[in-house]
Amino acid sequence: MKSTTSPVARYRTKIISEVRYHYCQPHGNNIVEYCDSMSRGMVENFQRFDRDQRFDYLHFNDWHAVQALHVLQDRNTLLTYHSTEYGRNGNQFGDWWEYKEISGKEWYGGLIAKRVTAVSATLKNEVMHLYNVPDWKCDVVPNGIVPRQFRAEIDAGEVKQAYGIHPFAPLILFIGRLVYQKGPDLLIEAMKIVCQNHRDAKLIVAGEGDMRQFLMERARDLPANFVGYIPDSEYIRLLNACDLVVIPSRNEPFGLVLLEAWSAEKGVVASNVGGLSENIDTFVDGLKVEPEPGSLAWGINTIMDEPSQAIALGKKGRKKVERVFMWGPIGKKVTETYSRVVA
Amino acid sequence: MPALSIGFEVHQPYRLNRNFAPDPKVKKKDIANLYFDEVNRDLLLRIAEKCYIPATSMILDMLDEDFSCAFSFSGTLIEQLEKWSPDALALFEQVARHRNAEILGQTYYHSIASCFHDKTEFVEQVRMHTTLMHELFHVDPGVFENTEFTFNNGIADCIKDMGFCGTFTEGVDRILDWRSPNYLYTCRDIPVLLRNISLSDDIAFRFTNRSWDKYPLQADTYARWVAQSTGDVVNVFLDYESFGEHLWPETGIFEFMRHLPGELSAQDVPAVLPSKVLADYSPVGTIDVHETISWADIEKDTSAWMGNDKQRTAFHALEAAHVYAKDKQFWRYLQTSDHFYYMASKYGSCGEVHSYFCYLAGEEAFRTYMRILADYEERALRYTKNRKAAKTLRILSPETAFHFSSPSGFIGHTAYSLDQFCELLSIVPGDSFQYHLERGDFTRWIKEALGDTDLADSIRDCTERQEFTDLVCRWREHLWSRLR
Repeated sequence: MKSTTSPVARYRTKIISEVRYHYCQPHGNNIVEYCDSMSRGMVENFQRFDRDQRFDYLHFNDWHAVQALHVLQDRNTLLTYHSTEYGRNGNQFGDWWEYKEISGKEWYGGLIAKRVTAVSATLKNEVMHLYNVPDWKCDVVPNGIVPRQFRAEIDAGEVKQAYGIHPFAPLILFIGRLVYQKGPDLLIEAMKIVCQNHRDAKLIVAGEGDMRQFLMERARDLPANFVGYIPDSEYIRLLNACDLVVIPSRNEPFGLVLLEAWSAEKGVVASNVGGLSENIDTFVDGLKVEPEPGSLAWGINTIMDEPSQAIALGKKGRKKVERVFMWGPIGKKVTETYSRVVA
Repeated sequence: MPALSIGFEVHQPYRLNRNFAPDPKVKKKDIANLYFDEVNRDLLLRIAEKCYIPATSMILDMLDEDFSCAFSFSGTLIEQLEKWSPDALALFEQVARHRNAEILGQTYYHSIASCFHDKTEFVEQVRMHTTLMHELFHVDPGVFENTEFTFNNGIADCIKDMGFCGTFTEGVDRILDWRSPNYLYTCRDIPVLLRNISLSDDIAFRFTNRSWDKYPLQADTYARWVAQSTGDVVNVFLDYESFGEHLWPETGIFEFMRHLPGELSAQDVPAVLPSKVLADYSPVGTIDVHETISWADIEKDTSAWMGNDKQRTAFHALEAAHVYAKDKQFWRYLQTSDHFYYMASKYGSCGEVHSYFCYLAGEEAFRTYMRILADYEERALRYTKNRKAAKTLRILSPETAFHFSSPSGFIGHTAYSLDQFCELLSIVPGDSFQYHLERGDFTRWIKEALGDTDLADSIRDCTERQEFTDLVCRWREHLWSRLR
């Protein structure tokens, strides 16, 4: 059968900084079907370019592309876990079909991939425990960041005023999906305690999610502003204008917001879980607390009692970003992992 | 028992005119009045009266009684003394010619040129300083002291190639690897004298600290500390303004100094000159300095001048201004380290003052600096190799720079040149790019601020970010190739 459109025309290609990006257009009635369709498109697209010059390594990310990994499993393959379905579900098992389908793919990917990486030691343990991935097969490679993208020279007072906040009032920022895993409800409860000590403190909650309505009701009497989804540029303005970033997650395999806050030289109060737990040194570059309101409130009060301390912690955090989380050293780690992939 | 070598850094910058506004009517010969602040004269007179004259008179007496110390004068200080305080200069001249004093080498402009990638300018300014010292004081410095003790392996190579027999730098623990600073070391085969931080700061910072358990510090106690130190030589190096300006006469600093030589002899501690240290002692080890160190703050690195984005923007702009510097004099005045120090935004560096006000002070210093650098390049356009390329690549003032925004306001990224614009195109959030693209801001700015209609025309119909970025960056490289 003759196709009316040539395969080349069906796929969009883009070159950014000498890297060729190929796109496909998946379809599906649910997330699982959608990802299967995407995987088929990826493989089809891949084979067009693999003919003349064989690729040395194939690197897959998360369960979404496991179907493609399955087809190409005889090659030098690498699978990176960014999180697990169990973790995204707030450290709980689920009994609905998507949960089973997705965690099944996560298990199968870990089984057939020649090598596996996880973005933190916590996630590595989680993957080993949940999916029986052997220790020798799994490396920890953290996420990287371009700190320049998040640090901006901005007049904090002007941004605060745009939100109706006094220029000198301490501003706490939460950014993330408003879902159970990210713990925004814990922060709202903590704010009730914080406001007793710091009557001028303000909270901005940025992000969308199914908990929003619930949270807004709980925060009715609090100086909290739910700004919903914000574009990146507005995030940068808020991130650089705020005095403290709080990450109250219940489960956080890595916690990219931490690196973003550090890039902007901001003090951080975060839950002592996952990647956050591994990367923060308490009272050196941030404060780790338990994911419950009392502990969070203690952390927030401690930092806000001593504003210069928040600044000092943020500066130290930025130093750590420049030392550990720039793409240079991380690229090196990935390359090392490639060299351990054995076909 | 170690010897004591004591040295003084004597420097004044030309502070920039805070109210500067471009004025094409001002002729080149009068440009100093436009660029420099009137406050320079007042400050110099005040410091001469409170510090230079009384402290130097005291030190001359001490030198007559066989005390020894070293001085490092910047060229920008000497210029100002010649103009406004010949009396102070006459005293320094007596010091310089005194057999018990030694004059050290530094850069004429007390500049940060040693941090430039290309070291030619640094070497040139050291030569200018050497010539000045020779013509004014008839001395030839043999030991070097770089601006604020800035130092690394590359700078060591340069200093050695220029023929100095030794150099000062900071006794930074992480470089010494916990060895004592009280010995001579070598770095890339040039002998290095390391400042003893603790004994220097006892005078410069802790002297007036009432909560210090050693307060008030007396000369006999201090001499005993030196005597009890281990090693060959204790190098103490101070900002000369400590005497009378940072530490007022009421603190007893002058009495402290006056009694120091006697108390040192009582402890059998000889006061020696740096060149004598180099002659008498052999290096006991080597140091390897990959990162750039200095005597600034507690970080002991270059973060006091290049620690924040404003400072880095100004530094790169200054370095790139090289191709515009046919007439180098004012480009060099702009290299003085103090201009960058004023842009600092470190917490703590402004004492108890709220960091918000500190931000504004640093911001103002930065804006002034960029306005003047922009004006300097604007005036230099007609001397450049390719005027059109030079115009597009020049530095812009904060008023004409491109401020990336979103519908809700400024997002904190500013391009002060086409170079920086290219860099920021891959940094700023996509929605900000889109916002400006749809409003036609890019085309307008390139046409009006950079004056490049060719580039403006070629990007007019470009809507894809990557393609846009590639186009602008390629054009930028093309322009630079015509200018170099």
